[in-house]
Amino acid sequence: MEVVGDNPNSCCLKALVVVKDFLVRFMRRLLIVSLIVMIVVAGGTAYYLSTRQASSQQRVLVYAYNDKITGIDPSLEDDTGLVVLGSVYEPLLYYDPLRNQTIPALAESWESKENNTVWIFHLRKGVVFHDNSPFNSTAVVISVLRAKEVYEKYGVGLGYIWDGVEDVKALDDYTVEFKLKYPQRLDLIAASSYAAYIFNPNALAKAGVSDYTDLKLRDWFNKGADEGTGPYMIESYDPYNQVVLVKFDKWWGWSTVRNDKAPDKVVIKIKTDPQDQYNGLISGELDIVTSVPRVSIQDLVNKGFKELRINTFHSYFLVFNTRRYPTNITEFRLAVLYSIPWDRIVDQAMKGYALLGSGYVPHGFPGFVEGLSFKQNLTLARIYLEKSGVKPGVTIEFMYQSDYVEEEDFASILKTSLAEIGVNVKIIPSTWESIKEAGKSVWDNPDNTPHLLINDWWPTIISPYDYLYNLFHGESKEWNWSGYDNQTFNQLIDEAFALEGSDYGKAMELYREAQETLFNNAVAVNLWDEVKVFVYNPRVTLPSSAVNPLYMYVIFYQYVQVA
Amino acid sequence: MVASLNYLFKRVFYSVFIVIGIIVVTYLLIILSPGDPAARWAGNPRGPGAGKAIEFARVELNLDKPLYLQVVLFIYNVLTGNLGVSISTKTPVLTAIWTHMSSTLELLIFAYMIGIPIGVFLGVFSSLRRGSFKGDVLESIGFVVANTPSFWTGMALFLVFSEVLGVSSYGRIDTRLATIMGFKPITGFYLIDTLIQGNIILFFDVLKRLIPPAIVVSLYPIGTGIRVVRVLMSEALSEDYVKQAIALGVSRRTVIWDYAFKGIIPGLTQVMGLSFVYSLVDAMIVEYVFGREGLGSLLVGAVVSNDFKLAVATLIIISTFYIIANTITDIVQAWIDPRVKL
Repeated sequence: MEVVGDNPNSCCLKALVVVKDFLVRFMRRLLIVSLIVMIVVAGGTAYYLSTRQASSQQRVLVYAYNDKITGIDPSLEDDTGLVVLGSVYEPLLYYDPLRNQTIPALAESWESKENNTVWIFHLRKGVVFHDNSPFNSTAVVISVLRAKEVYEKYGVGLGYIWDGVEDVKALDDYTVEFKLKYPQRLDLIAASSYAAYIFNPNALAKAGVSDYTDLKLRDWFNKGADEGTGPYMIESYDPYNQVVLVKFDKWWGWSTVRNDKAPDKVVIKIKTDPQDQYNGLISGELDIVTSVPRVSIQDLVNKGFKELRINTFHSYFLVFNTRRYPTNITEFRLAVLYSIPWDRIVDQAMKGYALLGSGYVPHGFPGFVEGLSFKQNLTLARIYLEKSGVKPGVTIEFMYQSDYVEEEDFASILKTSLAEIGVNVKIIPSTWESIKEAGKSVWDNPDNTPHLLINDWWPTIISPYDYLYNLFHGESKEWNWSGYDNQTFNQLIDEAFALEGSDYGKAMELYREAQETLFNNAVAVNLWDEVKVFVYNPRVTLPSSAVNPLYMYVIFYQYVQVA
Repeated sequence: MVASLNYLFKRVFYSVFIVIGIIVVTYLLIILSPGDPAARWAGNPRGPGAGKAIEFARVELNLDKPLYLQVVLFIYNVLTGNLGVSISTKTPVLTAIWTHMSSTLELLIFAYMIGIPIGVFLGVFSSLRRGSFKGDVLESIGFVVANTPSFWTGMALFLVFSEVLGVSSYGRIDTRLATIMGFKPITGFYLIDTLIQGNIILFFDVLKRLIPPAIVVSLYPIGTGIRVVRVLMSEALSEDYVKQAIALGVSRRTVIWDYAFKGIIPGLTQVMGLSFVYSLVDAMIVEYVFGREGLGSLLVGAVVSNDFKLAVATLIIISTFYIIANTITDIVQAWIDPRVKL
């Protein structure tokens, strides 16, 4: 550059140098930009092509579930783990709610003797566990005894369903005999949604325990172990984010189902927020969702998504605190119930996705009673209020779960309707944990328990006893939040349960009588039985046979078709 | 060097007490709040043995012991590296925290890789055009982007990407594709994991999903950067050493970047360090909008379900993150600026 300054033609040379510098800089930048563009285009094209190719190679189904998984121990899990267990493990029998009868699963046939006190199950042959070891009677014996004995020892799990079993033994490799303490419908027990899954006895050795009641086995299962016979195996387990299931080609049922479009892999995505599920569905990331905001379901259908509705056994109960003034007065409770506009509840709170409750057992479930429901009658409500001796202007507390918009809607209906008879409602939104704590405290500290609470329930065993015992029996201090302890009622349902094995019809009569007692005493009311809506991408075919109200949230993927 | 080590030891020493304080306060807050962790651990038991299950759970969780002993045992376990298992999912707390923290950190780090250069560049640009229309506009933009609620911006950007541009920014990775391709998280940082596994397809997918939320999180450092750099640079440009360099004919570029800008780096580091810590909260909100797992969803879920082990452990990790970020900021400042003594 210094030489250039001395040259007489420096002006031209300077200009040339400037142009050259400009060109060099320009070319360098062009090269960088081109490289970036090439990388992006190449990456994008490869991404697009491989997405198409990969999609055609394997059928993957993404199902959004609305809660984290609380455990996957096949014998002891009693909560959300069912959504995984239902596809990985199998019980001896399944329950068919449409016909109210049990159907074969791991047991091909069964019979009862001696007035339903002895049951013999003939097991399916040729079934293998996911590690290819054969399924046989020993697995059934150990699975049942583990659920039963761990419950007896620690109270853990739901093994009380096997309470009637005195002895269970293998008669041969494929025959199991149950001896009962009293007559029972053991076929219904064996089809329970919890504590009835059969696991591989090899699990004990794998977990390093010798005793099946050792709780180390529970911890081992909850790390993601899979010892089932079901149509899908666990590939990866992250209870907070996702569980990946992979098709088990040696499942005995594929030849029966004959579904060559069943998903090769299923991803159960944990998406707790309804809006999150909605976003995932419309962005194409999720195939099936269960908890989008109810108000947006129609909008999704209009956009081309499909829906499958299923009447569930999940009921919501409005429960009175029967140990605190003024809800300890039957007439006052009746006044409250007659003032509620029942014909509007389902439409307003549940946006139509429910059936108005009747009695204390859901529609379609054994023991359901038609006509045990209230109708709004303000005149009658005022008469009952006067009879109760409670002066208008009284305030009662109502606690509901704040993250359930339907309960919030019900709260505002309740407040408005009770205002018409001069009863004020203090609404307390709260978390599920706090509500449970408050509900349980009715036994020790009723004056600190709200006057009204909402409790929801779905069954474990196929018996009205499941609802009536847990929610209203005087012994059930964990879930009976009304504080109701009526000896006549208690005896009635205990007797009914004992009769189920020997005189099912009579047992159902007693359950009806028990529900009428609850109804007449206005201890609680079944607000609604939820209608569950599965909204799904049209690339998926979700037949009604893929869901069953007893096994809440479980999708039987073997019946699902993925395009 | 010795002074720095002394500082580090002191900082670690004090930090232990801060963490213990956090353990005590959060443990008490969660244990004394409504809800029974024993019932949660027992799995909401039913039937005649329900009471027995809860009593047994109380023993398993040490909740049968006096409160002070529970706290002492908990502190001992934490300090010996035993954070235990979640009472909701019965899986190790540490695994859950790492899975979620790596997601949040990936978002945060990427956002700052975008945010700091843009914030600094625009801040310098704005400072050089003080009083002009462009300078005022940039300052206003800085003010607006730093103060717009990230939840709102996130929702807007999510809709723009998914509805207008047709590009999915939902989640961290294409679940279907990742499942088919057998993607397995290794470090928890998906950008790195996809590269380790040599999966360029998934790398692009992760990047595509990371950019929109990162843009939202980066708005705060961009806004803060513009405003802070503008003020600091304005001051630096009026310093005598800068004026002297200009008088000596030093090129404009050298004056701005080598002289004036270098002088503001210590102050800028301090502000960005603090803003990084603040953005952790921002990232927790944004990941929720974009359907990404992260510390925010983990912590909220733990508190709501009375999972005291997970909640306390998450808070410990977050506080430790705060302490580490602040310590690093101090060290970097001392390293850059010889006037700062540790």
